[in-house]
Amino acid sequence: MTSQDGNELVKKIIDAFKRGEFDVIAALVQKALDEGAEPVNLLDNGLTVGIRAVGEQFRRGEVYLPEMMMSAEAWQESIVLLDPLLTADNLTRKSTGKVVIGTVKGDIHSLGKNIVVTMLKAAGFDVIDLGEDVPASKFVEGAERHHADIIAASALMTTTMPQQKEIINHLDARGKRQDYYVIVGGGCTSAEWTKEIKADAYGETAAEAIALVEAYMESLKRGGRA
Amino acid sequence: MIAFRDIVARALNGPIISERDFELKLFVPTVRRIAKEYGVEYDPEILVPADDDQADQVWQAGLEFFLEVGVYCPDTERRITFTRDEVMCALDQDPGPIMFGSGVDRKVFPRRKPEDNTPPWCSLGAGGCAVSGEAILMSLVREYARNPSCNSITTPSLTRVDGQLIVAGSPLEVEGAIRNMVLAREALRQARRPGLPIVNGVATAVHAASHIAGLGYGIGSTDAMEIGAHHEMKVNFDSLNKVTYTLSRGVQIWAENGVILGGIAGGPATTAIVTAAYNLLDILVLRGSIQHPFPIHFNLRTTTSRDTLWVRSVSNQAISRNSWLPVANLGYVGAGPATKMALYETAAWITASVVSGGSIEAEGIAKNAHIDFTSPVEPYFAAEIAHAVTGMDRQEANQLVKALLEEYEQHLDDPPLGVRVQDCIDLESGEISSDFRKIYRCTRQEMIDKFGLDFKYPSMYL
Repeated sequence: MTSQDGNELVKKIIDAFKRGEFDVIAALVQKALDEGAEPVNLLDNGLTVGIRAVGEQFRRGEVYLPEMMMSAEAWQESIVLLDPLLTADNLTRKSTGKVVIGTVKGDIHSLGKNIVVTMLKAAGFDVIDLGEDVPASKFVEGAERHHADIIAASALMTTTMPQQKEIINHLDARGKRQDYYVIVGGGCTSAEWTKEIKADAYGETAAEAIALVEAYMESLKRGGRA
Repeated sequence: MIAFRDIVARALNGPIISERDFELKLFVPTVRRIAKEYGVEYDPEILVPADDDQADQVWQAGLEFFLEVGVYCPDTERRITFTRDEVMCALDQDPGPIMFGSGVDRKVFPRRKPEDNTPPWCSLGAGGCAVSGEAILMSLVREYARNPSCNSITTPSLTRVDGQLIVAGSPLEVEGAIRNMVLAREALRQARRPGLPIVNGVATAVHAASHIAGLGYGIGSTDAMEIGAHHEMKVNFDSLNKVTYTLSRGVQIWAENGVILGGIAGGPATTAIVTAAYNLLDILVLRGSIQHPFPIHFNLRTTTSRDTLWVRSVSNQAISRNSWLPVANLGYVGAGPATKMALYETAAWITASVVSGGSIEAEGIAKNAHIDFTSPVEPYFAAEIAHAVTGMDRQEANQLVKALLEEYEQHLDDPPLGVRVQDCIDLESGEISSDFRKIYRCTRQEMIDKFGLDFKYPSMYL
């Protein structure tokens, strides 16, 4: 395959993201691989650019949550195709960081958390979504099992906010508090609440949450915590 | 109408589908196709449309959407579906006058049409805002009840019991739910309006167990329980348990649904269609006496953005022209207590609701996201606006809503937080601070001088 052919397919992948044709993306990736495209090129210049474009459309109010969810699924299906080839080439996918995320115990609200999940993926994070109604211990166990950098906990109601504090308590009890950056958000949470429970950060909006965890990962690379 | 036990049977035995497929393979493509088929389009320049045909198209689109998609039960991963005959039968069976309250506060909830001259029902309160203490809750409820225009109460919710933070699902939630009701009822007695109905049931309760506990301490057949669906078109066992118990106690239901604009429901046109469809869910599944919607912006977390105001108006018109189940609109403003912006926002969403055929429940302030950031003045002002715009035609209302929007739209992404209730109200006497009084007086006068409103009654806050 010529580099021109490869670039044409990369462009098609990006266009498919932008036009909302998510069901063809994995097939385009497979076609490009079959024709000899470099997995790294498809990932960095196709999938990543495409999913970020959807994130931008969402931020501008041009598309809505379904597009975000479908773009994340298309990304995931494509990553399944690319990961073994990257490993075979002794390459690893460049991850911005690893996040364990969920809605806390007693709370079944998922919308805000799902938006953050998709935007994290678009920003290059590996995301382990624990779902809703997640006990504090599961956040900690999930973070340990997946060697996460960040724990993100969403709570919509005043009566479920204390479960965010429970995550901090469980980390303290296991002597693991310093191992993870804990960011909270949702409904009634606030910067004051974050300070009270000794979490590391508060994301009022999804975009703010992404900016904060990106800044944290940057600070890690520089050798310190944000 | 189909029996409630059949709803439960369908939740247990209906067609199986995963939640993901319900959302992305069924809900999303169906609502988008139907919006195109019925030509439902959002016009950002006409926020209160005067187009009966468009309203009826939104209703028909909502009905077709409901028939195709049904209602999802996450606990069984099944759909509760209905035939056209079942839905039409439910719409035909108007239960007659819907009444709440007792004694002198017993009233008929009006069924209004767009541009109706009948005053709307004014349910006043905190929209469930969390407060830090029992004294604050009681003070607020006394103040809501002091307003003669108040037809029912929506209480704040407690965050602590005996100094401990209430944790969902714990005994503290059960105790908080009971205490919430006992305190609210006593506050209404102190205001000499013991028969004023409480319509949000047990604000502090999240789970069915707490709802049921609170119901035993001050909620009767003249009040109402607020029971909600989940985003979007989903009803879980917890909600069905609440319905089961509430119906068994002979208590009426305000069926709550806040469709999220920007969420699964998508943009304004499809959000309006889903809001109309919820009217049918509320009749058939939640067994509501009232539909209690709050179409809310996913990012701004208010019901006062340009697009949510349009959704509010269009869906109210669609429902009020076609269904017997009346609407009590719940609103959330972005700005906090004692700010001019909160009053502008209030005036905008109340106007869009009342002129479009709805009644009101006012309101959540500062997005209902901050403990104690609430006050009785904004709900009072909401009732004043509701009466002032009753009978206004839709073209005039459209101009008014757009003019109000100009005053605050650019600040919606970073609204002023305002002040806590204890910093702007004397909790014992109910006197408002001089700063707040100035803001209220100035904005109320502006409504008369600049926006041409005619307030029907003297204000108790002047």
